[in-house]
Amino acid sequence: MKEVLIIGGGPAGLTAAKALADRGTGVVLVERKESLGGMARELTCKGIVECRNCGVCFAIDRAGDAIRNANSEVLLLSEISAIAREGDRFVAKIKTSPRYVTDDCTGCGKCVAVCPVEGKAIFPPTGSGQPRTFWIDRNKCLHFKKAKCVACAEACPTKAIDFEDRATNVSRKADAVIYATGIDPIDACETSRLGCGILKDVLSSVDAERILNEKGRLIRPSDGKPPKKIAVMQCVGSRTVKLGVEYCSKFCCKYATKISQMLLDTDPEINLDFYFMDLRTLYEPQDDFKLWAKEKKTVKLVRSMPATVNLGQNGKLLVRATGETDLDVAEIEYDMVILSVGMRASGASSELAKALGITVDSMGFAKATQELEDRGVFVVGAVAEPMDIEETAERAIAAVSRIQKKEGGA
Amino acid sequence: MKAKIQVVLCKCCSEVPALLNTDRLAMLATDADMVVSVKTVDAICDGKNLAGVVGEAKEKEVDRAVVLACHKKDVSPALAKAYKRAGVNEFMVEIVNLREEVVLPHIGEPERAQTKAETMLRAALVRAVMLKPLERLTEGMKTNNVVIIGAGVAGQAAARAAARTGAHTVILEKTGKSMKAPGVILTHCQLIGAKGWTGNYTLKIKAGEKVEELGAAAIIVATGGGWTELMGPLAKAVKDAVPLYKLYERMQSNDLPKGTVVVVDTPDPAGKSLRVQDYAWDDTLETVIELKKKAPSTQIYVVFQEMRAFGLDELAYKEAADLGIRFIRYDKAGAPRIDPKAPTRLAVKDFAQGEVLNIQFGTLVFASIPPNKDNQAIADALRIPMSVDGSVRRGSIQRGPVETVRPGIYVCGSALFPKSRALAEQEGETAGSMAGEFVKNGKIAYGGSVAEVEQEKCSACLTCIRTCPYEAPFIGKATKAEIRTQLCQGCGMCVGICPSKAIELHHFTDDQIMGQARSLLGGDF
Amino acid sequence: MAEKKPKVIGFICAGHGMEAAVLSARTGKQHDASVRLVEVPCAGRVDGIHLLKAFEDGADAVFVFGCLEKNCFYDTGSIEGRKRVGYVKQMLDEAGIEKERIEMFNAASSNAWMFPQAVEKMVETARRLGPIEKGGEGQ
Repeated sequence: MKEVLIIGGGPAGLTAAKALADRGTGVVLVERKESLGGMARELTCKGIVECRNCGVCFAIDRAGDAIRNANSEVLLLSEISAIAREGDRFVAKIKTSPRYVTDDCTGCGKCVAVCPVEGKAIFPPTGSGQPRTFWIDRNKCLHFKKAKCVACAEACPTKAIDFEDRATNVSRKADAVIYATGIDPIDACETSRLGCGILKDVLSSVDAERILNEKGRLIRPSDGKPPKKIAVMQCVGSRTVKLGVEYCSKFCCKYATKISQMLLDTDPEINLDFYFMDLRTLYEPQDDFKLWAKEKKTVKLVRSMPATVNLGQNGKLLVRATGETDLDVAEIEYDMVILSVGMRASGASSELAKALGITVDSMGFAKATQELEDRGVFVVGAVAEPMDIEETAERAIAAVSRIQKKEGGA
Repeated sequence: MKAKIQVVLCKCCSEVPALLNTDRLAMLATDADMVVSVKTVDAICDGKNLAGVVGEAKEKEVDRAVVLACHKKDVSPALAKAYKRAGVNEFMVEIVNLREEVVLPHIGEPERAQTKAETMLRAALVRAVMLKPLERLTEGMKTNNVVIIGAGVAGQAAARAAARTGAHTVILEKTGKSMKAPGVILTHCQLIGAKGWTGNYTLKIKAGEKVEELGAAAIIVATGGGWTELMGPLAKAVKDAVPLYKLYERMQSNDLPKGTVVVVDTPDPAGKSLRVQDYAWDDTLETVIELKKKAPSTQIYVVFQEMRAFGLDELAYKEAADLGIRFIRYDKAGAPRIDPKAPTRLAVKDFAQGEVLNIQFGTLVFASIPPNKDNQAIADALRIPMSVDGSVRRGSIQRGPVETVRPGIYVCGSALFPKSRALAEQEGETAGSMAGEFVKNGKIAYGGSVAEVEQEKCSACLTCIRTCPYEAPFIGKATKAEIRTQLCQGCGMCVGICPSKAIELHHFTDDQIMGQARSLLGGDF
Repeated sequence: MAEKKPKVIGFICAGHGMEAAVLSARTGKQHDASVRLVEVPCAGRVDGIHLLKAFEDGADAVFVFGCLEKNCFYDTGSIEGRKRVGYVKQMLDEAGIEKERIEMFNAASSNAWMFPQAVEKMVETARRLGPIEKGGEGQ
């Protein structure tokens, strides 16, 4: 077999790409962003000495594999502008936007330092994304407005800036399509009563993961001090009728409990209160985190959903929450609050999805149906339903197996 | 025979010269002992450059190379292939990562970086001189059997997926149940022993009273959960309590439960065991919803500590509650109790209300999926490790989501961790696909950088045997340790721990490691 | 006496150990040039004698850098590596040499900050403690 078009370079797309490449099948991987890895790019490894099985390194390893593989064509900053059937095959028109930075980029970051645009116009790859080549956002870059700025080009020690880069349009044929456009995190600020976006020391789990991935430790944005008393709050934006997110996002308890363990690894004196409704630690016995918390005298599990987070005394955060039996209300001060946000499917109802015949369910997830698979369209990963990286990997391999079956196997 | 070394200096386009003096590096290489060829290229990943390098290697009859470039994983495959054409063994190509070890991280220290690069070149030459050519061998798989232990949901899905790759599947099922799956299905059959190694196992199976041998190229452990083995005070008190799947099965043949139905998460809620057993909440919710719809007048209680309705199953939780199914949360302090003298009443302290509820029930159901008791025997037969909670342990996630520690042996479904039918089916498909692809190769590759015992030095202390996760070392006929090369993964753990220093790891010998270290420490930077 | 050019050597595994070091470089993170790296297939390959010899050959500080425990490509390799480091720590202590001159670190491939942090720690130790005094107590 021939060629498979993979739409989306996150854990699902990447695992599928490796599985197909290992089976000798050609792969065209189209990724919208500037690097591979999807949401996993900004998730942190949660182990300091012992692995906590979060799956993030698995996704990053697959990103590296995809770039190295001779059987895989990886198109970054690319989108599918049209897709149609031609007999038994799909024909896709792919537009690749110019990156303006060549492979000579060493990631030194001198360009970013000299970029005069507020908020910058040249960026490194997000998080741990691969490959490590920077990119210019044309819409922000002064060079493309009247200014003709060349500051980055002059600062670059390897002359990797290429303002002559142009968009390219290619056409690719494929025997099957894997739709794996993944997820977007729910904006924690949608639940404004918890202070996100208002209070500096209230972080969303997305922020916390990003900072931990970059630096390995958290500091309070307000005064730069390390937080000693932290509240972690689950289900922000999930299991919430008001926001229309009635489902559980599945992986947040897994990630939040492991981040909590990582924080205690780095600083055993941290006091951590874990606010939750149900402890949904995936692939782990439900007691494990409770037993760990019991052993760490400074960790408390509180089965309660805090009502508000406000500014307290001396720059601390004041959390108002009921106790476990709803009979008592407490106001507790913390240095930092981390809100575990859920996720929504991304690109499930885009024009491209519609063109492929993909429909969505009541919660906005793309429906993976037998009918679609019979036609050669495989919806894989968290765009179909909430799942973590491990499950995503399994489903991607299983989908590849079914693609083989479709094409007559061996 | 004197070594003939080719040194290749890759400029990584303009990256390396931006920090280092590449001419000086090239000169050092040229002046070095045993170096017969020095090539400076713009990008070794460019086919044309590589061709030029290899052309000269052939011409000068080079037998080993030192390539100063970037990360080994990025350049090694192409280099090995190209050098092979020039007659240079793949284990005679030493790659030095100048890019990520020097050029990228030492921007502020150009002088030290230069001396460091020169030192690394010298150290690589020292190591290169000590290298020996090694051969990777292959061994054909005698069968293309994928043997699947367990004919449950996961096992059947694994068989289907493996069959798609062209493998021949053999399911070993301990009960007599019938099912439809590709390949051969052996019922009343259990695994009692295994010999051999990856790709060529000989399994000892007991089919009824007969003991037979069965060849296996890959093995999938899909034994499922041990939900027939319910242990705990509640199970003891209520003799006719059923596991959830039994309830589900009976419902399919319209054998509906009598009286009020109480589903409890575990038969041991006060937690005498190490942990509360996990369960599949999606299956639990699906079952109680179906029951309520079939028999709307039946009172159903679900008694639990954590409502682990992951993902979209949260919607089923809501649906169940809307249908009038009552959910009662407890904690260990108020765990459900049943007096064995009155085994139709369950007393539980409702967590939210703080009051003890007494529920008269007709049917008691347990949702938990305890570990399968067969797992230990199977793990022992295959010599793979178990987890503390009684499931078969998956190896590092680096290897993949369904591989055990030993290559060619996979685990899926509730044997790996308690899960629903739907998820077990997915995992079965994953494992079957991986196993099938592995078997499709028809052969295994082994050898090269592997361990070897110098028998005279061996004191048969068994330390290597206890250390190796792959069972590669064994005590041979001479009562000394030997390495089964087909099993050796080349990690060198046995080498590092051998108290008699009787084992060597080819390509990473003590002399090579310490020689390189000493040369690096000799650099003055 | 603070050392300007301390000698630090790390034995780093070819799996996640080296991947973490490579990622840190590729994310632009800088680290002191004092460090030398010897790549081994697995942290478990490291022998106590390699570590001791490194000190003899002039290292002021030595470290082993492997995969996270339970995530080792060879299952128990990084645990074995930690054992060797522990064993050598004890020997150094008995010889009257500062135990902190040798350490074990673990990281996964997606961790870009652990390697530079490990280097920083060992270089700081090497600078602070200076070279090992030869012919000292306990020899």
